[in-house]
Amino acid sequence: MANAATDGKRPLNSNLSTIYGRVPTVGADKMKVTFCTDMDKSVIVYNFEKRGWTQVGPEDDWNFYWAVTQSCRTIFSVETGYRMGDNQTINHFPNHYELTRKDLLVKNIKRYRKDLEREGSPLAERGDGPGKYLHLDFIPVTFVLPADYNMFVEEYRKSPQSTWIMKPCGKSQGAGIFLINKLSKLKKWSREARNPFNPNLTKESYVISRYQSLIQLQYRINTISILHYRYIDNPLLIGGKKFDLRLYVLITSFRPLKAYLFKLGFCRFCTVKYDTSIQELDNMYVHLTNVSVQKHGDEYNSLHGGKLSVQNLRLYLESTRGKAVTEKLFANISWCIVHSLKAVAPVMANDRHCFECYGYDIIIDNKLKPWLIEVNASPSLTSTTVNDRILKYKLIDNIVSVVLPPDGVPDVRWNKCPSPEAMGNFELLLDEELAAQEERENATGKCRGSSSKWK
Amino acid sequence: MADSKESAANKAALKLTNDIRNMTNYKNFYNQVQRLVASPVVKREDFKNTLIDALKNNGLETELRNTVFHLARSHSSALTSTEYPASTTEADLAYLRKAQIQWERRIQKSLNSMCNELNVPLARIRPSADRDELADKWNELSTYDIDLSQYRPLYAPKDFLDVLFAVRDPTYRKQPGEPGWEFGHIQIRVKTLMQLVKPFKANLFHSLIITHVSISFKFSLFKKQRSFYAELSQGVPLLGVNPSMIVLGNYSNLEVERTHLGEKVLASNHAPIAQEFLKRGSPRELRGRLWSLVLGTVIKDSDAEYYEELKGMVLQYDIMVDKLIIKDVQLTASNDDQYFVFEDVLYKTMLCFSRDSEVLAPVTTDRSAGGQVIHAVLQGKLATLENTLVFPPSGVIPFHGFTMYATPFCYLYDDPCSMYYAFRAFYLRYWFRLHTVSSHEQGIVALCLLFERLLQCHEPQLWAHFRNIHIQPVKVVFKWLMRGFSGHLPPEQLLYLWDLILGYDSLEIVPLLAVTILSFRKENLLQVNTLHNVEAVLADLSSLKVMPLLQLVLLKE
Repeated sequence: MANAATDGKRPLNSNLSTIYGRVPTVGADKMKVTFCTDMDKSVIVYNFEKRGWTQVGPEDDWNFYWAVTQSCRTIFSVETGYRMGDNQTINHFPNHYELTRKDLLVKNIKRYRKDLEREGSPLAERGDGPGKYLHLDFIPVTFVLPADYNMFVEEYRKSPQSTWIMKPCGKSQGAGIFLINKLSKLKKWSREARNPFNPNLTKESYVISRYQSLIQLQYRINTISILHYRYIDNPLLIGGKKFDLRLYVLITSFRPLKAYLFKLGFCRFCTVKYDTSIQELDNMYVHLTNVSVQKHGDEYNSLHGGKLSVQNLRLYLESTRGKAVTEKLFANISWCIVHSLKAVAPVMANDRHCFECYGYDIIIDNKLKPWLIEVNASPSLTSTTVNDRILKYKLIDNIVSVVLPPDGVPDVRWNKCPSPEAMGNFELLLDEELAAQEERENATGKCRGSSSKWK
Repeated sequence: MADSKESAANKAALKLTNDIRNMTNYKNFYNQVQRLVASPVVKREDFKNTLIDALKNNGLETELRNTVFHLARSHSSALTSTEYPASTTEADLAYLRKAQIQWERRIQKSLNSMCNELNVPLARIRPSADRDELADKWNELSTYDIDLSQYRPLYAPKDFLDVLFAVRDPTYRKQPGEPGWEFGHIQIRVKTLMQLVKPFKANLFHSLIITHVSISFKFSLFKKQRSFYAELSQGVPLLGVNPSMIVLGNYSNLEVERTHLGEKVLASNHAPIAQEFLKRGSPRELRGRLWSLVLGTVIKDSDAEYYEELKGMVLQYDIMVDKLIIKDVQLTASNDDQYFVFEDVLYKTMLCFSRDSEVLAPVTTDRSAGGQVIHAVLQGKLATLENTLVFPPSGVIPFHGFTMYATPFCYLYDDPCSMYYAFRAFYLRYWFRLHTVSSHEQGIVALCLLFERLLQCHEPQLWAHFRNIHIQPVKVVFKWLMRGFSGHLPPEQLLYLWDLILGYDSLEIVPLLAVTILSFRKENLLQVNTLHNVEAVLADLSSLKVMPLLQLVLLKE
């Protein structure tokens, strides 16, 4: 990627007179770092204050802004006309929603597949059945309503016994989610919501994906081959309980792509048993594992919060299923994260002041295939348990040390290659820049680049 | 001398033959041999040799060897006590047995008074509505909603420690200046560890003969530990230290090498070899199968049937212990971020365990047991023999944290039946001695004693510090010892520790680890002087790595 700033190594004592903007210049070596946040989260403020940073308001001169997506949007909007200086950094990309809005994610991934197919990439190899891909098939069959309503109805008629999950686009943490098992219910809902599925009238769009329960799975096994229908109709259960995986992915640049995976992810378990009967459909807690939804359930446990560490998930899977399949699962999870990022990379506004920590929600099926359910731009920093607080403290701490140059002062001219020590609990998923570099160095093709397996 | 040895071996062989005949699986085994005899591979002309070859070739010989291995292990205490008639020391330790009998009576009394207080019967036929609900929710007992707010655990490790502290040797004369709280005055015989230095031999009868010699703790115990735990002390590569350690040969790293070797061990199907293998730590993916092999709990059809019977017993009878079990799972596993996922499996496991009468004999006839058993008459029935049951049928009354003996197995087995038998075998081999007062060298008293002596010998500064601040060192580690560290170490580390328990067939590694942890946190411990702060220093063990710690301490000496 032709980005001049990334090539030149940052001079040791950068000439401060060249620094643009409103950042005060307080001595070359010890610049006082200021931060700003509009999230009242102790885990953030505590982390920053521990680094000796001072808190300022959004109107003041800040170096590091931990913003909610809304304030980020304001900063980047044309009307505001705010120009960020070289020593400022903020925790969202201007159009972060390309990945987090479910409709846009689906659109981007579909486009990515087509692009790869056009290039004749082996990654885009087709699977059996129309619209099926062998490798790039990591999101459940999904339609965006109201736009895809007719396509949805067609798919619905193919298997009317399916359950579908409706999620509003652009909302997170389980808000507004509900389940549908009859077309008539969907129509009734749309009438009641005074939100007829007329593409011209509605402002809010929904995604709807197939959400099958075990009974239906068994039914399908008995009737037709289900192999061609690779949806999350058979989630992996542990101790009889359904769960999803929450992983944190840090992006410091989209072009070239630089992505890091936080090793301390966790599984979120339903606190109510996974029930297969259709009568239970109204008990939405059974199917939704977002803790923010779960907390309203009666059986929420404040000691563990329904969360199991990824390390323990690995221990369980390796012990009961074997090491090879477990490693393949985790490799596939990384694979699906990397390709979701590659899918949006071309459309992202790759502002060098930005980084972003995305919360990836993944469901594993009982064949140990991971499915990407959704991506959150503002993963919850509320701590539900003691372990949770420790984890989130480490998360913020490690993010800051990855995104900042070694001297701890934000600087867009830094090449964004953190040292192994600075990575903390993050591991490198992919650094396209480093990978390209290594490729050049190993032009003889002797050894494979270690910076990524996911090129 | 040689004669008496031979006759002892003959006696043991006779006893084993009898035991094998009485096994539930014997008929099946016998049928297999009969079928073999009828097959063409066994020749009439050379019956004995061809039969032996055939047995070897189809794996029945290995089965038989494993059976003898398991029988010999489970009967070793009974057999040795006949070979080595009660010594004078044994008689002197009668006060321990008395303490155990009193302790069992106290638990039973407390159980009865709880029944009276709550006005519930010890046992009754389960009402049909309740039975249907239980059967319905068998796989999700966390939704079986009953009010347990009035129930509380009968006792906690702390209460049991008080009982141990109160044990006094009537003949012991306190030396002036000696603290009154040591276990040191209890003259327990401990297996000399030196005798186990020799590698464990596949010769199964060999393992029958375990000698006991009373040991004086006047000289270094670490030296003895060191030779017993040869693999740990000689610096051989262990799993759990650094799995990607480079090894010689064709393997890319240690884990690959161990996995390859472990698969061969499993293929051989020899329990003693599997046991030997565990001494250097098991790869995750083989652990469940290796443990089953060592414990003799590879599931047969008859085991699955018996497990179903136990479930039937749970559904048929409503006994008061059920509530205590459910309460205990709720108080422990359900609140534990490592184990809450498995609560439903644990309810089933623990309920079935309470009904398992195969547990009764080993736990009540062991020389560490007081042998006190309650009989309960079903509520509303005549007090006849058929309306009376041993209460609970397993003879084991749960206490706070009892479930933790079973929790780690949830990580190893998906199948509740496999998990049940592995847990049961582990309990019968080791855990039941951790909540009884006994002179057994694997019992809690001996382990506490070992802990105190190791600490005194090797961390005299810490020992003195504890004395100065008037805290009994045992007090801060007792919960670790009594639970075999379950719930205190992260599951992965705990499983390594239990690998070693199985591999060396001894619980002595548990107090050894306890001392090691204190030693590891010595600097911090020396800076605090209240029980509360000492406990705070030791509260979080999540960062500890068991194998390197143990290796470090055993190599150091």
